[in-house]
Amino acid sequence: MSGLLQRQLRDFAVAAGLAVVIASVAFVAARNHDVIDRQLALAERSVAALAADGEVLPTVHGALIGPAISSPKHPELRHRNLRDHGAWRLLAGGDPLHPDDKLFYDAAAHFDREHQPFVELLRDGSGRAMAATAHGSGPAAETAVAITEPASPAGYPLLVMIGVLGLGGALSAAGALVGGRGARVGAFVGAFAGIAVLAIPALLWQSWFAALVIVVVAGVTAMLQRAGLTNKLAHGLVRDRVAVSFLAPAGLSMLALVAAPFLLGIGLGFYDHHQGTWSFVGLHNFIEILSGNGRALDDPLNFWFILGVTVLWTMCNVLLHVTIGVALALLLSRKWLRGKGIFRMLLILPWAIPNYITALMWHGMFDGQYGAVNSILHGLGMDGVSWFTSWTAAFSANVITNTWLGFPFMMVVALGALETIPKELYEAAAVDGATPWQRFRHITLPHLRPALGPAVALGSIWTFNMFNVIFLVSGGKPGDSTNILVTDAYRWAFERGDRYGMAAAYGTIIFLILLLWNVFGARIVRSKGDDDS
Amino acid sequence: MNPLVLVVIAWLAAACSDPHGIVLWHSYQGDERIALESAAQVWNKAHPDQPLDLVMVPYDAFGDKLSSAIPRGNGPDLFIYPQDRIGDWADSKVIEPIEFWVDDARAERFTPDSFSAMAYRGSLWGLPMAVKSLALYYRSDLMPVAPKTTDEMIAIVPAMKAKHGYALAYANVDLYGHAAWLHGFGGRVMDDAGNLTIATPAAANAMTFAAQLVQTGAAPNDAQAPLVTSLFNEGRAAMVMSGPWFRADIRAGVPWHVAELPIISATGKPAAPFRTAEALLMSARAKDKDAAFAVMDFMSGDESAAIRAKRAHQVVPNPAAYDDPEVAKDEALATFRNQLVHTVPLPTSPTMRVVWTPYRTALGEVLAGRAEPGERLLAVEREVKDYIKR
Repeated sequence: MSGLLQRQLRDFAVAAGLAVVIASVAFVAARNHDVIDRQLALAERSVAALAADGEVLPTVHGALIGPAISSPKHPELRHRNLRDHGAWRLLAGGDPLHPDDKLFYDAAAHFDREHQPFVELLRDGSGRAMAATAHGSGPAAETAVAITEPASPAGYPLLVMIGVLGLGGALSAAGALVGGRGARVGAFVGAFAGIAVLAIPALLWQSWFAALVIVVVAGVTAMLQRAGLTNKLAHGLVRDRVAVSFLAPAGLSMLALVAAPFLLGIGLGFYDHHQGTWSFVGLHNFIEILSGNGRALDDPLNFWFILGVTVLWTMCNVLLHVTIGVALALLLSRKWLRGKGIFRMLLILPWAIPNYITALMWHGMFDGQYGAVNSILHGLGMDGVSWFTSWTAAFSANVITNTWLGFPFMMVVALGALETIPKELYEAAAVDGATPWQRFRHITLPHLRPALGPAVALGSIWTFNMFNVIFLVSGGKPGDSTNILVTDAYRWAFERGDRYGMAAAYGTIIFLILLLWNVFGARIVRSKGDDDS
Repeated sequence: MNPLVLVVIAWLAAACSDPHGIVLWHSYQGDERIALESAAQVWNKAHPDQPLDLVMVPYDAFGDKLSSAIPRGNGPDLFIYPQDRIGDWADSKVIEPIEFWVDDARAERFTPDSFSAMAYRGSLWGLPMAVKSLALYYRSDLMPVAPKTTDEMIAIVPAMKAKHGYALAYANVDLYGHAAWLHGFGGRVMDDAGNLTIATPAAANAMTFAAQLVQTGAAPNDAQAPLVTSLFNEGRAAMVMSGPWFRADIRAGVPWHVAELPIISATGKPAAPFRTAEALLMSARAKDKDAAFAVMDFMSGDESAAIRAKRAHQVVPNPAAYDDPEVAKDEALATFRNQLVHTVPLPTSPTMRVVWTPYRTALGEVLAGRAEPGERLLAVEREVKDYIKR
C-alpha cells in the first residue's frame, strides 16, 4: 500500500508542477489583460470627461492642448500650447515643466494625423495608458489628452495555489488508499482528480484554454500511470541518470531553439502583419498562396510555378550529386590510384568551405564581363554567356554552383559504403565471368543503396531549402523566375511590405511538402531495400 | 572559488547590467566611420557621464534588424538611415517624433530641402546628417571635358569601343541608378500626394533610353558596384554615375573629376537622380529620450558636420560647415552640392519599399531586350498595387 501511495504522490508532484506552471502563466496573462483593460478604460473615461469640460480623477493627468501653430519659417515645425489648471503654457523641449509634456505634445500630434480619437498603452513598459479626443470643433478645436498613472497589478494568489495543491494532493492520496477490488479504479480517479483540481484557478481567471490543458495533463498522467509507464519512466530516469544529465542540455536547447520557433512559425502563418500590428486572418495566407492569387500559372510569382522550379531544382541537383559523388567514389576506391588522400582532401574542400562564400565566388565567376567562366569560354573560342538574362542559363548557373557544393557529401557516403562491400563477391563474380558493368549493376549498386537512400533524402531536403545559392548566385533573376519556395518566402517577409504572416505560411507549406516527401521517400527507399533483400 | 564559476558570474553580471549612455547604430564604413567616431569623441569628452557608444551594423541587414528589434524593446537609442524608411517606421511606431525638441534656431542649421525630408504626416522624425545623390565622375585622360548633354556623352562611344570599353558605367538595373534618366525624361515613381505614377510614357521613354545605352554598347548591362569601380579604374569606362562614396574606390593615379549629370538631349531637361537625406533617427523605445535628443542635436550640429565634411567628404546639410576653408576648397563636394539642385527627393511613403524589387526586375528584362518598357511598367504598377492593397 505504501508503495502505491508513494507512486501516486510522485506522479502527482510531477504533473502538479507542470499544472502550476500552466496556471501561473494563465494568471499572468489574465492579470495583464485585466490591467490593460482597466487602464485603457480609465484613460478613455477621463478623456471623455475632459472633452465635456469635466474633471478627471487625481490618478489621471489630463490637459487640453491647443491647435498646432506652424512656424512661419519652417512649416514642418508646429508649436502647441497646453492648458493646465486654467493657464496656457508652451509645450517645448529643453526645460520641460512636467515630464509628461512630450507625451501631451505627441498625443495631440497623433490625433491631428489620424483625425480620430484614440486610446493606447504607452510602449515604455510602464503600463500607462493615453487617450485623446477633440474638444470643441473647427480650426480652433483643442485636443483633450488624458494619461493614467502606472498600473499596479494584483499580487500572485499564493494562498489559492497552496490550497488547491493541498486539495489535489489529498485527492490523489485518497485514490491510492482505496483498497480491495476498487483499488485500480480508485488510483486512476485519484490521480486524475488530484491534478484536475489545479484547473480551478485557471477557470476562475477565465483561462479556458489553460484549464483544458491542465485537464488533459491530468488525464494523460492517470492513463500513463495505469499502464505502468510512469513507473517505468521514473525507474529509467534513476537508472540512466548519467545519460539523462548528458542529454538534458541538448534536449532543452532543441526545445528552445527548434521546437518553440517551429510552433511559433506555424502560428504566425494564421496572422497578417501590417505596420507593426498583427491580425488573425485564419487560412487567408494559405489560400492566397495556394490559389496563386489570381496570377497565371507561368507567372514567376505564382506559387505553383515556384514549386515547379523548386522540384526541378531539387531533382537536377540530387541526380548530379549522386552521379558525380558515386563516380568519384568509385574512382577513389581503385587500387591503382596513387595520392588518394590528397585527391580525397581536395574533393571534400567544396563541402568544407561555407556555402555562402562558395555561392558568392560562383556569382563572380558567372559575371558576363569579368567572370572566369566566360573567360574560359572565350579562351576556347566560344561566345560568352549572359548568365542571368535567360531562365535556362540562370537556372544552370544555380545548379552548377550547388552541384559543386553537394557532390562531396554523396562521395563521402558512397566511399564509406564501398568499403563495406566484401571483396569475395567481386572475386566470385570475376570467376563467373561477370563484366565490369554487371559487377557494378549487381554488386556495387545494391550495396550502395542502403547508405545512399538516407543521404538522398537528406540531400533533397537541403537542396529544396538551399537559400544561399539561389539568393546569392542568380538572386531570382531573370525576373524572379529562378526563385525557389524558400527565397520567395524571404521576399514576402522583407521585400513585399513586411508580410511575415505570408512568409510563415510559406514555411509551413514547405514543411508539409518535405514531410510528405520524407514519408513517401523513406517508404520507397525501404521497399527498394526489401526488394533487394 | 572555481575559476569557471567566477567567469560565469562575471559574464552574468555583464549581461544583466544596464549599459549607461546612448547607443547609436550606423552602417558607415571607411572614412565616414572614422569621421563619425571623431565627432563622437568630441561628445564623449564633454559628456563623460552620458557617453555615446557607436555600433557599426552592416547595411544589408540594418533596416530589418531595426524593424524587428525596436518593437520588442531592443535595439539602439539612435540610428542613422536614409530617409526613405521614415514613413514606414513612423506608421509602425518604430521611430520617435522629435519636433517637440526642435525650434526654429535648430531648423535653420540645415538646408530647407534636407530638413523637410525629415517630415512625414505633420511630424518631424529625424535630423539630417548628410545629403546624397549621384553625379558624373569622369576620367580627364579619356574625356577632357565633362559632357553637357547625353548626346555629347554618347559621342565618345566609338572611341571607347575601340578600347573595349564603355562610355558610361552605372548601376542601370537598379531604380536608384536609373532614376536620373526617369526624372530627366519627366517620369516619377509617385507624385507628391504619394499616388503611384510608375506606368507613364515618360517612364517608358526613360527605360528605352537606358536600354539603348546597353544595346549600343555605351553602357554595360547590369553593372554592379565592383564592376563599375574596376571599369573606371582600368580606363574601360570614361564616365561613372555614382555618389560621394565612389571617390574612396578610385585608384590612386587615376585622373578624375566630378561634374553635374548631363541634360537629356531628347527632352532638354537635366538628368535628376534621387536625393536621399541620411537621417539621425530616435528609437521609439529609447531609454532616456531627452539625453538621446541631446546627442542627436550635437551629432547633426555644425561642429560634427564640419568634421564629417573634412574627414569623409560628406555632403553635409549644414551650410555653416562649408565656411571651413578646407571644406570650401573641396571641388567634388561643391559639385555634389550643385547637383542637389537637379534632384528629386526619394519618397518617404511606405509604398516605396515595395517598388524597388519589381522595378529592378523590370529594368533587368527591358535592358536585356526581353520585354517592352510600356507593358513591363504596367506590370510593375500592378504588382506594387497588389502588395499594398491591404
